[in-house]
Amino acid sequence: MTAIAEPLIAFFLIVSGIFGFVGSFGLLKLGDPMSRMHAPTKATTLGVGGVLLASILHSVAIEKHLSLHELLITLFLFLTAPITAHFIAKWHIHRHETPQSLPRAGDDVIWATHDTPEQEDGDAA
Amino acid sequence: MSLFLIVALPFLGVVFPALLVRAGRDASASAAGTATLLALIGLLLHAPAVLRGEVITARIDWLPNLGLNANFFLDGLGLLFAGLILGIGLLIILYARYYLSREDPMGQFYAYLLLFQGAMVGIVLSDNILLLLVFWELTSLSSFLLIGYWKHLPEGRQGARMALAVTGSGGLAMIGGMLILGSIAGSYDLTEILRNKEAIQASPLYLPALILILLGCFTKSAQFPFHFWLPHAMAAPTPVSAYLHSATMVKAGLFMMARVWPVLAGTPEWFYIVATTGLATMLIGAVIALFKDDLKALLAFSTVSNLGLITMLLGFGTKMAAIAAVFHIINHAVYKAALFMTAGIVDHEAHTRDIKRLGGLRHLMPLTFTIATIAALSMAGLPTLNGFLSKEMMLAEALDTTWNGSRLVLPAIAGLAAAFTAAYSFRYIAHVFLGPKRHDYPASPHDPGPGLWLAPMFLAVLVVAIGLFSQALVGPLVKAASYAVTGGDLPEFKLKIWHGFNTALFLSFGALLTGLALLRLHGGLERGWNAMPRPEAKTIFDALLRWIAELSRTVTDRLHDGAISRYAMIFVVFTLLLAGYGYFSGTIGLPTRDVQDAPILPIIAWFCLIAATALLTFLHRNRQLALVLIGVVGLTVSMSFNYLSAPDLAMTQISVEVVTIILLLLCLNFLPKGTPVDSSLGIRVRDGVIAGAAGLGTAGLVYALMVRDFAFPTISEYHLANSKTGGGGTNVVNVILVDFRGFDTFGEIIVLGIAALVIFSLTEALLSTRVRAYLLNRKPDWPQSGDAHPLMMVVATRVMMPIALMVATYIFLRGHNLPGGGFIAGLIASIAYVMQYMASGFGWAAERQHFYYHGIIGSGVLIAAITGIGAWFNGVPFLTSDFGYFQIPPLEEFELATAMFFDLGVFLAVVGAVLLALESLSRLAWQPGMVTEHAMDINPARDDPPEAEDPAQTAVKED
Repeated sequence: MTAIAEPLIAFFLIVSGIFGFVGSFGLLKLGDPMSRMHAPTKATTLGVGGVLLASILHSVAIEKHLSLHELLITLFLFLTAPITAHFIAKWHIHRHETPQSLPRAGDDVIWATHDTPEQEDGDAA
Repeated sequence: MSLFLIVALPFLGVVFPALLVRAGRDASASAAGTATLLALIGLLLHAPAVLRGEVITARIDWLPNLGLNANFFLDGLGLLFAGLILGIGLLIILYARYYLSREDPMGQFYAYLLLFQGAMVGIVLSDNILLLLVFWELTSLSSFLLIGYWKHLPEGRQGARMALAVTGSGGLAMIGGMLILGSIAGSYDLTEILRNKEAIQASPLYLPALILILLGCFTKSAQFPFHFWLPHAMAAPTPVSAYLHSATMVKAGLFMMARVWPVLAGTPEWFYIVATTGLATMLIGAVIALFKDDLKALLAFSTVSNLGLITMLLGFGTKMAAIAAVFHIINHAVYKAALFMTAGIVDHEAHTRDIKRLGGLRHLMPLTFTIATIAALSMAGLPTLNGFLSKEMMLAEALDTTWNGSRLVLPAIAGLAAAFTAAYSFRYIAHVFLGPKRHDYPASPHDPGPGLWLAPMFLAVLVVAIGLFSQALVGPLVKAASYAVTGGDLPEFKLKIWHGFNTALFLSFGALLTGLALLRLHGGLERGWNAMPRPEAKTIFDALLRWIAELSRTVTDRLHDGAISRYAMIFVVFTLLLAGYGYFSGTIGLPTRDVQDAPILPIIAWFCLIAATALLTFLHRNRQLALVLIGVVGLTVSMSFNYLSAPDLAMTQISVEVVTIILLLLCLNFLPKGTPVDSSLGIRVRDGVIAGAAGLGTAGLVYALMVRDFAFPTISEYHLANSKTGGGGTNVVNVILVDFRGFDTFGEIIVLGIAALVIFSLTEALLSTRVRAYLLNRKPDWPQSGDAHPLMMVVATRVMMPIALMVATYIFLRGHNLPGGGFIAGLIASIAYVMQYMASGFGWAAERQHFYYHGIIGSGVLIAAITGIGAWFNGVPFLTSDFGYFQIPPLEEFELATAMFFDLGVFLAVVGAVLLALESLSRLAWQPGMVTEHAMDINPARDDPPEAEDPAQTAVKED
């Protein structure tokens, strides 16, 4: 049991390490905010996910008791990470893009974040 | 009746007139009268025993550690004063019922009057000087309310303020004097102090104590040069003046001098300060009174003069003089109350108190004339009336006393004052009642109904009766009171009219004749007096007040100029100075512990902290960036707590962080995005140096602490040892919060609640000003987002809410034994709600919120209080917790502790406070049209599915 588990745990830890590194490196290296946003999402999902899997395996195989707390952490990460990314993207579009610089959202609609009442008035006028 | 009840009755009575005034003015007055009458009866029941020489006591140890005990005692002096206070109080209540007009709020009047009466009775019956001081201040406060009763009159308000300022500051001096006296005697009990005459008079602190106590007495009793407040207090309704200035307020100072007479009197200091002040006051008051045209001003200065007379007698320090003083206190109270009441009747009927506009009233108001004449003649000192007796005793004492080696000074000045007294008394009769009838009174005067004349009539009868049968009527009382004043054996004395032909009698008659002559010459004298330049006390007082206010404003403005950097600098520099003093004057032992190696994690945390604070120093002008950096510090601190095995602290810190950052973000919404540069480079360098010194000092202090063992054993051991056995919990932190230091926590949740209420009332007040219009029309600095409530966020917070609440419940329940507790649970629950506000919008969330947060805070504090009070029923002190182990099959054995209810209170108070703060701040951002119908920006329940719409759109596109 231990013999199979130990390499597996090591594998997951290495995977998480690699993705954690890639995520941090990308955050530092990538050019514009929208691309940069991709990097940390890798770190949170795959990077942290790897550690958590390793932790579950460790508790089951080595410490001989089932621990599922880690699943809760995963759940919370899956809930919060997309929302954080969503808000960062929204903020970027809001502050640094104009309706003209963005791809068309539809025929007679613009991107939601630019769709303020004032601008509607402006359009009507 | 117990002395406690006698003192408490007026206070208990305060409520009833105020409530019963709805049932009519008679009901209100009789309620006030009943309380007073009951107290008076209770007092009189003790009278026979006290007159036999017994002392009645009632004692309760209240705060024995402070020496403050609810001890009362009743001796002759107390009986005399309490009798005057309650007896004349009863007459005043009757008189005021008919004096006050329909527009005056009568319930309020009687409530104030009873409050004042209770405070006065408290003063004269207290055996504990600390308790006495409490009552003393209470008389200052309640007399302020009474004097300013006609709050629509500026004179009333100014007079009340002046009386409060003078008597209140005198009271402060008195506190100092009393504390010195108590510390010399080693006890704050009067009876104990009065036994320590030698120790007190030998003490080097005798003179300071004497001066401070006399300051209190002189201000209260309107002695020169503090006499000026009394005439200005005449703006009060006449019943108030009659009460305050005949029997009570101003007599409190005399009472106090009489009370401490046995220990303080008899020294040259006492004689020269007290007797001279009294003498000067007596003469000045009498002279000014003669030239006052306002009836009440005349009586006010006459009161000042009479108070001076009594003060002088007390100042002589001989036993016979003390007897005369006691006797004159009775006589003055009786005739002066009657005179004030007749002045009030004249004012009430003729609608003026100006002597120049009066005269000839004896034809129109024969009854009032009779009463006023008897009382005024007694004041003048006409034989067979009571005033004559005490005045003659006074003159006899003055003749027997030498002042600075001269036997003439005292009798001469006292005789002169007596002559002026006779003159203004005669003037009160002659210029108001005698003379031809006039036709230009502002109203048509006539005798009033019995409600108004009964009380002064009774007093006038007393004036005659005491004059004729003094020994029989008041002899025993004077004897008992004088015995209490002098605190020892009395010389044989008998109150009688005829003492034979002696110097005092000639002096007395001489004064009467001079008085008549002065009245004759009054017209000419008055012209001279008016032409003479005199200092106006009110102007001086006002200038003094303005000067003090100016001075304090200058000092305050210097220290407190509104710049936080200034306060911080003062605070830090002061702390640095203290610390520097401590460092350079103290010694420190050698280090007893080794410096530990630093593992990598603390170094990283340390680096984060240093980096965040360093960046903050340079980037703080960008407020949002500053907030992020503060967040870094907070998170690092939380992690450090966790690393150092303090999970409770870590959890608390992290939830506090979240709430704080959200609230600060909300505030930043209304503030400029950047902080302007408003101090010069020099100031910033100076501040930097100060901050650096303070930081290095703190670091050094912490280092010094950490490499040494504590000098004394810490309390932690006790907490660790007793947490499970005494508090029933294994989580020591939580047991400390709810049990060991439960009272602290109780105070803290109250403070937390108050803070939230303050935020609420500040924003509420702000919204009722022009700021509201500004906020409504405010253009945000950045363009607002079109979808303020994105679907993803709304859904996620909905999903999270039950989970978060469950976590809060879990944390709450396990708190007693594992990390957690009401405070952390409260924060987590608040965050669960705050998330809804953030995601779905304030308006939408507020519409679904059915409990007022004020109520939640209140219920939290109440639950905690009730839990604490519950301990009393088990005969243990407030907030003692109890716990037990129960087993209900099929559950395992579990523990229930009362601390849980206390923790529930903490929980509710925290939730309420956080959410109230959030709600208050959010209200500032509210603008019309912000409440959306749906939580998110699209209608989640729309019946036209977007899929159905899409083909149509694409169809149009294709076209």
